[in-house]
Amino acid sequence: MPDKLRLMIIDDEPIVGKRLKRLLEKDGYNVEAFTGGTPALEALEKQHFDIIITDLMMGRIDGMKVLETAKNKNPDIKVIIITGFGKKETADEALNKGAFDFIIKPFKFEELHKVVKKAETELKAKDN
Amino acid sequence: MTDDYSLIPTSDSRILNSHFHLPSNPQNIVFLKTGVSMQLKIWHKMIIGITIPSLIALVGGFLTYGYINDVKNRQSFVQLADDMKEHILEVRRNEKNFLLHKDIEYYKYFQSSVSILKNSLSNISPQTVTEIGEDNFSRLRQSIQTYSGSMNDLYVQYQHETDVVEKVREDGRKLENFVAAKRSPGELSMNFILNLRRLEKNYMLFRDKGSYNALDNALMQIKNIIPFCFECMPYIEAARDLSEAYNQSDLLINDLQVNGEGLETITYKIASLERQKINSFLGRTHNLLLLALLLLCTLGPLLVYKTATYIVAPIKRLADITKKISEGDLNLRAPLKEHDETYSLAQSFNTMLDHLQLTHQSLERSLELLHEKQVEAEKRASLGFLVSGITHELNNPLNNISLTAETMKEDLNEMTLEEMKDYIQDILSQSERAKHIVGDLLEFVGTRKTTVMEKLDIVNVVEESIKLVANQLRVNNINLKTNIPNMVFFVNGNASKLEEVFVNIIVNAVHAMKDSGTLTVCVKPDNGNKNILIEISDTGCGIPEKELKNIFEPFYTTKPVGEGTGLGLSVTHSLVTKHSGDINVRSRVGEGTTFTIKLPLYEETV
Ligand SMILES: Nc1ncnc2c1ncn2[C@@H]1O[C@H](COP(=O)(O)OP(=O)(O)O)[C@@H](O)[C@H]1O
Ligand SMILES: [Mg+2]
Repeated sequence: MPDKLRLMIIDDEPIVGKRLKRLLEKDGYNVEAFTGGTPALEALEKQHFDIIITDLMMGRIDGMKVLETAKNKNPDIKVIIITGFGKKETADEALNKGAFDFIIKPFKFEELHKVVKKAETELKAKDN
Repeated sequence: MTDDYSLIPTSDSRILNSHFHLPSNPQNIVFLKTGVSMQLKIWHKMIIGITIPSLIALVGGFLTYGYINDVKNRQSFVQLADDMKEHILEVRRNEKNFLLHKDIEYYKYFQSSVSILKNSLSNISPQTVTEIGEDNFSRLRQSIQTYSGSMNDLYVQYQHETDVVEKVREDGRKLENFVAAKRSPGELSMNFILNLRRLEKNYMLFRDKGSYNALDNALMQIKNIIPFCFECMPYIEAARDLSEAYNQSDLLINDLQVNGEGLETITYKIASLERQKINSFLGRTHNLLLLALLLLCTLGPLLVYKTATYIVAPIKRLADITKKISEGDLNLRAPLKEHDETYSLAQSFNTMLDHLQLTHQSLERSLELLHEKQVEAEKRASLGFLVSGITHELNNPLNNISLTAETMKEDLNEMTLEEMKDYIQDILSQSERAKHIVGDLLEFVGTRKTTVMEKLDIVNVVEESIKLVANQLRVNNINLKTNIPNMVFFVNGNASKLEEVFVNIIVNAVHAMKDSGTLTVCVKPDNGNKNILIEISDTGCGIPEKELKNIFEPFYTTKPVGEGTGLGLSVTHSLVTKHSGDINVRSRVGEGTTFTIKLPLYEETV
């Protein structure tokens, strides 16, 4: 397994992907950003990712659908949900479906950073 | 609602009335009062209704029976009178026979028939006597008495007459013998005597005046011939006696006949009187029966009808009131008018209605409460929807600003000036986006300061709006068709707001058509030339029926973040409303959507 973890960022606003990619790459992750769920799911078919950071409300393929598909393909994958509107039921649903964590916009990068780190630790622990 | 509202049903209608302000029924008391005087149960009424006509019929029947009996009785009186007549005829026949033959046999016949007559007379009942008439009867009796008395006299007279005749014959024979012996003076010839005897026989045969005069003349001649003829005297005496006896008999016969006729007359009179009575009686009976029949025919059905309605009336009243109540007036109550079986029925019915009304009212109250709760819940839900929309729409640009600023802070030293400029631009445009959302929201809520309205040409506004989106149409490969009259139509409005309306709708149409399709814009006045209609149609995906009611809701969107906020149509709707207009939508999934905006045309008076 390569040293760098592969991260996938999905948001239908490109600016989100752009910013997070830059910040997370500085932390030493291999990051790819996608605009919308459709291209992201296509990429998920062909490539391996360790962690997915996805927006919830997106056009036709929303974050919940991405979560289900990704977990189906690879149960070990860590999916972190970010959303502009935090409804408890939505958060519960996501966590029930196997989401790693649930972050509400607007968030400090630090917050996301911590969650990603935690996911990394868990992944590493499992490997060993 | 009143605070003292009670759900406890009570059958005390007085409390109910005061409690629910039912129209109080003062008639109730009156009904109860009158009810005492007419406490007839239905079966009482029925018995009355059946009994009265039957009684009428019965009375009529009895009367008829009585009359018929009477007629029968009278018939027997007539029979009696006829019998009497028969007897009297018999008696009179015997009388005539006796007068003819002067025979004892016939006298006996006469007597026996008289005694039959008397017998039958004494057999007549006192009732019949009164019927015939006391004086009539006694006259009848009297005249029979006189009649038979004169017969007796006549009989005695006849015996006497026979003696006298014997004497005349004997004395005649003696005189004859005397003359034949020639002991008489010479004048009394045998011829004379024989002639005398012939005259005597004639008189005895004819008993009339002429023969008597002839005889008397002859006897007078004897006196002339021999003034003192002792031998002649007895004969003359006897002849004179005979004449006397004959006269006496004639008198008696006359009496007898007169009496007989009188008897007959009386009997006839009685019989005819009886007949007359029967006739008049029959006439009366006939009239009475006719009257009874008429009464039965008219009064009978009338009475039956009256009784039937009398019986049915309370039931009908109840049925009427039930019908009215079933039509919805729960305030009505059945009248407690009659104290029959329907009284308790009406009472229980009213109690039932009281309960029903109570339940109805409490149900209405519950429904009201439920409705209030539902409205509350709906309000909450829509508020939640609104809040979630606002949060979501604002949090996204905020997040972008924050992330951009964080990145800048982190990488400030490594950043080129160009990069920095880009980042700052991002922050600015994201702020603009947030500002826009808040602006739209305020527009929707209507707290923005009043828009300036002016007289403007709507055709021009539509054309300007199309120009604004022309580039987008071209990029998305969309045909534009317009049907806009080459005229001016004025409306009272605000140009930029109206532009926003049309742009919003056209942008939605473009989104719905993705990158191929036809947009049609059509402007036309409506029928009455009072309004202008702007129709914007697309050939896009369409809107499912069940979503149509949502599209004007704020934050309702089916589009991803960045493409739609869900505020476009809600703002459009409030703007059109502000222009006293109307917006309508027709759509078919897979075929397209048409929005129609109706705006009132400008009137100079405005
Ligand atoms: N012309 C159209 N064809 C199909 N759907 C439409 C059309 N116009 C509006 N809609 C539907 O109505 C929703 C609300 O529209 P709007 O209020 O303008 O918000 P937004 O466009 O931001 O989504 C849209 O998301 C879309 O689903
Ligand atoms: Mg829109």
